[in-house]
Amino acid sequence: MKIYKIISTAAIALAALMLWGCGPSKPILNVYMWSDYIDPELVQDFEKAHNCKVVIDIFDSNESMYAKLKAGGSGYDVILPTTYMAKIMSDQKMIDNLDHAKLPNLKYISKSYLNDLALDKQMKYSVPYMIGYTCVAYNKEKLGEIENSWNIFGNEALKGRMTLLNDLRETIGAALFFQGKSMNTTDDASLEAAKQQVIKWKKNLAKFDNEVYKVGIQSGEFLVVQGYSGDLFQVLDETPALAYMCPKEGISMSCDDWVIPTTAKNKDLAYAFINFVCDPKNAAKNMEFTCYSSPIPEARQYVSEENKNHPGMFIPDDLYKRGELIRDLGEDNAKYIKIWDEIKLSQ
Amino acid sequence: MNSQQKSEKHIRGGSTVAEYLLTIPSFVWLCIFFLVPTILVFAIAFRTADPFGGIDSGWTLETIANVLRADYVSVFWRTIWVSCVVTAICLLLGIPVGYWIAQQNPKYRYWYLLAVIIPLWTNFLIRIFAWRVLLHPEGFLRRTLLWLGLIPEDLFLLNNMGAVIIVTVYTCLPFAILPIYAAAEKFNFSLIEAARDLGASRFYAFRSIFLPGIKRGIITAILVVFIPAMGSYAIPDLVGGADGELLGNKIAIRASANRNLPEAAALAALLSLIITVPVLVAFLKQKRVFRIITNLRRSAGDSTK
Repeated sequence: MKIYKIISTAAIALAALMLWGCGPSKPILNVYMWSDYIDPELVQDFEKAHNCKVVIDIFDSNESMYAKLKAGGSGYDVILPTTYMAKIMSDQKMIDNLDHAKLPNLKYISKSYLNDLALDKQMKYSVPYMIGYTCVAYNKEKLGEIENSWNIFGNEALKGRMTLLNDLRETIGAALFFQGKSMNTTDDASLEAAKQQVIKWKKNLAKFDNEVYKVGIQSGEFLVVQGYSGDLFQVLDETPALAYMCPKEGISMSCDDWVIPTTAKNKDLAYAFINFVCDPKNAAKNMEFTCYSSPIPEARQYVSEENKNHPGMFIPDDLYKRGELIRDLGEDNAKYIKIWDEIKLSQ
Repeated sequence: MNSQQKSEKHIRGGSTVAEYLLTIPSFVWLCIFFLVPTILVFAIAFRTADPFGGIDSGWTLETIANVLRADYVSVFWRTIWVSCVVTAICLLLGIPVGYWIAQQNPKYRYWYLLAVIIPLWTNFLIRIFAWRVLLHPEGFLRRTLLWLGLIPEDLFLLNNMGAVIIVTVYTCLPFAILPIYAAAEKFNFSLIEAARDLGASRFYAFRSIFLPGIKRGIITAILVVFIPAMGSYAIPDLVGGADGELLGNKIAIRASANRNLPEAAALAALLSLIITVPVLVAFLKQKRVFRIITNLRRSAGDSTK
């Protein structure tokens, strides 16, 4: 929940303030990232190894992070935006091009991720950290095995018991995939067809939702939900009645990338930090902490036995082929916003 | 006579230097944390948006024209409609409760009031989630209703406008009961007895003696229910259905996911204008009440001279 994030941010800020008050002469690395997204033990290890202090500041959306930087927020050495936002920041010259000589561990990053999916294929300005995807969880106990397709949302027998995400790119993207299109298309005819598809699905939905679907699928309120892999695998691990599927037509994937802002004060430490989290052993620790997938195949040998085939942590290669990253569409975002409004208004 | 003149002066709004000084802290507070942000919201509504979610340097009227287009109008109407229904239900439930509590033995009255207030001690979001449990499709309530044959098989209690209205009424009801009770407590119930003695029916006495008597309580209740209901965001988000978007949700989406702060600001500005209307009406009405009282006193004073 947002409130939780605000409280934790405040707590961290307070802690940072107190530490600052103690006045250690150690160098400080300021990291700006999502909450609960790195194993705290690793942070301590890094502090010991480099005799420094790591201060982590939290944001809850790419947009708020971007707005803060644009409003003159500086003092961060490393930032972790989602891929599309890293691209915007690079286009706007807000972040540095990376010096690969200082990042020897980049050799571990999955080539299949970079070739099939990444926007920044040469890692010119960003280094991928964790990958998540959007999939569908369903109540296997009640429904049995279901077809591996977005078509499930057209099933009228499940009327009022299904949810799609309240996120225009994800939900319109699902319809685009279902019709064999790219989820980043700006073609008007494809978008119109996708709109009609979502309107058809909407009649069977309980709601568009980003928050209560987790509890809803667990308690049996919803029988089929579209959701983010990190969220869904937490629920799936706890509830044996549930199963998941990655629709064969395609799924959206997202990756968060390390970048170094041009305003960074401690760039050497920033490079050291990025290199540190790309170490396969450290990547394995982080995967087990977050349930997300690190694009570092070598990490598999370091995770515990029961997680070796965890679908959240080890994304099967064929999913990379079916997956697509959400790109920022610039001015064309308006097209998606317009049809999303029309979908919401349709009866 | 002197004191009466003084009190008249008070009613007309005149005040002493000391009174001005006393209001300075709250006045400054309101200026900084209410007036300035509100002006900023109105100003941002006229700025242009940059495609990355920031505010550009230009000025435009396009955003305002945009939020007045047809599909927004239906969201506005839905929001107003839901808020009116919620306000009406809160009054229908709040007036009898306030009436009843005011007539109880003062010894027990505070216990009844406490019962009204205690639910507010629990976090607002937790209470909404509690309703989600209560109205769950596999829950006790729906199962019982199905078993009794009161609802059809395909009717769900959750994720629709009905659920939004029920939960909003639930959260707003204490705020409606309290001012009505406060007014009813000061009401002289022997007036109703007098009306009954003069041949008025129970209902007639209630309608034409009691209700006008607690008018200010009712106006306050309408304001404290209608205004939050208009800005409602969490309730339609959590218990509303696929068609349940209200204005608050639209503003949130514009400000975050759609990266269009000016449009969010324009919607918020329009919302505050809509809310200002009932407040202004209530304010003017109260002023009229004041004026009538002042005139009455003056004529009373004249006749004693």
